[in-house]
Amino acid sequence: MRLLTKTTLYFFSAMVIVLVLTGFYLFQQFSRQINERSDRELMAEEQGWIDYLETGLENGNTFILRTREVAIYPVNASPNEFPVIEDIADNSLKPKSGLPYRQLSQVVGIGDVSYQVILKKSQEQKAVLVTNFTRVMMLVLAGLFIVTIIFNWIISRNLWAPFRRSLQKIRTTELNKIQTVHFEKTNTKEFNELNSSLNDMRDKIYHDYINMKEFTENAAHEMQTPIAVVQGKLELLLQDQNLKEGQLQSLAEASEVLNRLGKLNQGLLLLAKIENNQYESAEPVSLTAITRKYLQLFDELIKDKGITVETDFGDEFNLRLHPVLADSLVSNLLGNAIKYNYPGGVIKIIASKASYQISNSSRLEPIAAGKIFKRFNTSKDGGESSNGLGLAIVKKIADANGLQLNYHAQNGMHYFELRVM
Amino acid sequence: MKILIIEDEKGLRDSIEKYLEYQGFVCETADNFLTGKEKISQFAYDCIVVDIGLPYGSGLDIVSAVKEMESKAGIIIISAKNALDDKLKGLELGSDDYLTKPFHLSELNARINAILRRRKFEGSKIIRFNEIKLDAEAQSVTVNDQTVDLTEKEYQLLEYFVANQRRVLTKPAIAEHIWGDEYVQAGDYDFIYTHIKNLRKKLLDAGSGDYIKTVYRSGYRLTDN
Repeated sequence: MRLLTKTTLYFFSAMVIVLVLTGFYLFQQFSRQINERSDRELMAEEQGWIDYLETGLENGNTFILRTREVAIYPVNASPNEFPVIEDIADNSLKPKSGLPYRQLSQVVGIGDVSYQVILKKSQEQKAVLVTNFTRVMMLVLAGLFIVTIIFNWIISRNLWAPFRRSLQKIRTTELNKIQTVHFEKTNTKEFNELNSSLNDMRDKIYHDYINMKEFTENAAHEMQTPIAVVQGKLELLLQDQNLKEGQLQSLAEASEVLNRLGKLNQGLLLLAKIENNQYESAEPVSLTAITRKYLQLFDELIKDKGITVETDFGDEFNLRLHPVLADSLVSNLLGNAIKYNYPGGVIKIIASKASYQISNSSRLEPIAAGKIFKRFNTSKDGGESSNGLGLAIVKKIADANGLQLNYHAQNGMHYFELRVM
Repeated sequence: MKILIIEDEKGLRDSIEKYLEYQGFVCETADNFLTGKEKISQFAYDCIVVDIGLPYGSGLDIVSAVKEMESKAGIIIISAKNALDDKLKGLELGSDDYLTKPFHLSELNARINAILRRRKFEGSKIIRFNEIKLDAEAQSVTVNDQTVDLTEKEYQLLEYFVANQRRVLTKPAIAEHIWGDEYVQAGDYDFIYTHIKNLRKKLLDAGSGDYIKTVYRSGYRLTDN
C-alpha cells in the first residue's frame, strides 16, 4: 500500500471519529437548549392553567380536561412541590410516530382538590435536528474526502519529488560511475537527511569499490615479478643435464602451471584496466581485418584440427576500439571457436556494417545465459590451457565500448554476435 | 658480445645472467638506476636489458641516456607492467624491444639475438649451426648448401632453436614465441609436437643430422651431442 493511501486512511478514520463526537456533542447542546425552552414554556403554561383553575373553580366544581397535549383531572394524592419534566416518546398515536415529547406532570392543590396536571409539548424539531446534523456531517466528510484526495495528489507530485529523484538515481546508477551521482539538497529536512546519508553511502561504496579494484590490479601486478623469478629459476633448472626423468617432468609441469598463472594474472590486469577505462578508443579499427590476421596466425592450428572456416565479409565491420582490445576481442572469440571445436568441425564468420558474428560447431552443451560471461566459468573440455577469463574479457570490452554481445546455441552451433548499439 | 642487465630483483637478475652466459654472452649487472647509468657511461655494451621500475629512477631514463651517448647498444625493456604507454614511450625513446614479465629466458635470449643481428650492419646476417645455415634476411634455410623449403613458422621455430641451442625449450615457451600470447586461447601444447615433427623431418630429408631432441615430458632441445 502506498504511504499516501495509508496516511489518508488513518486521517479519515480520525476524521470520522472526530466528526461523530462533534456531532454528538453539538446535538446534546442543542437538545439541552431546546429542552430548556420547552421546559420554560411548559412551566408558563402550567402556571396559566393553575391560574385559570384557581379563578374559575371557586364554586366548588371539579374540572376535567383531556386533550392530546393537556390532561387535567382530580386525583387522590397530595400535591407535589415541584413538577416532573421528562422526555417521552408518544406512542399513543396510531401508527406509532415515536415523536419525542417533553412532558410536565405535577399534582397541584387547587383549593381542597388535588389535580393531576400533565402537559405535553412536541419536540419534532429535535428529530429534524438529528437529520440535519447527520446531513451536515456527511457533507463535511465528503468535502474533506475530496479536498484530501486533491491535496494528496499535489503533495505526492511536489513534496515527494526529491524522494523520487533520489530513488531514480539509485536505481539507474552503475557501480563504476557511482561517484558522478549527487543526491542534492532539498528544502525538506527528512529528504536532506536521507540524501546526505545517501551521499555518505555513495562515498563509502565508491571508496570500497576503488580499493577493491586497486587491490586486484596491484595484486596481479605485484605477482608478475615473483612469477618471473620462479619461471627463470625453473628454466635454468631444466637445463641441468643430470636430471632424472621424473624430476624433468615435475619441472616441466611446474613451469607450465606457472605459465598459466602468469597468463591468468595478465587477464585480470587487462580486465581491471578495461574497467578503469585505461584503453581509450582512438582510431576506428576493422574487426574483419583483425580477423584475417588471426586466421593467418592460427592457420596451422585450424588445419591441424581439420576445421573448415567459412567467411562472409559482406562489409567491413569498423569500430572505434583500442587496438589492444580489438586484438583481444577477436583472438578470444576465434580462439574459443577453434579450441572448443571438434576435428573436422566448422567455423563461420559473418560480418556486415553493423554486426559481426562468429559461430562454431562444438560438442559442448549450450551454455546457460547467466553463466557464459562470468569469470572463471571454465569448461572442463577446454583443456588445461583455459584460464576462464576469455569470454569475461570479451564481454567487458563490449560493455565498455558500447557494443552488444549476444550468445545463442542452435543445432550444435554456438553463435557469438557483436552489434553496434 | 657484452650485455648489461639492469634489474633490481636479484632472483631474476641472476637467472638472466646465468642463462645468457650459458649462451656465450659476457654479462654485467646493475641493481639500480645509478649503478646502471654509471656502467653505461664507463663501458660499451652490445645490448642492455633494463627494467622500468628501478630504485632511484626509471628504466626509461636509462634508455634516453643511452641514446644521448649515441651508443650502439641495443636496448630491451622488461617490465611488470603490460602498459602500452610505457611500451610506446620506450620504443619512441629508442629501445628496440619490450618484454612483459613474466617471460621465458629463452624468449629474452632470442630477442637479444635478433637485436644484435639487426644492429650488425656490416657482415652477413647468416646464422650457422653445423651444416644448417639460416639467412635471417631472406628467411631461408640451407643444409649443406641445399635449400630446405620451410614455412614461415617453421623458420621461426628453427631460428628460435638455434638461438637457444643446447637449451631445453618448454612447450609454452615455443608456443608463445611463434603464435604469441594469444596461443593459449586457441589450442593446447600438444599441437607443438606435430609442428616440430614436420620441421625435424624436413631437416633430416635435406641431409642434416638429427639435432632436435625430445626432452622427456618437458620440451625440446637442439643439440649436436
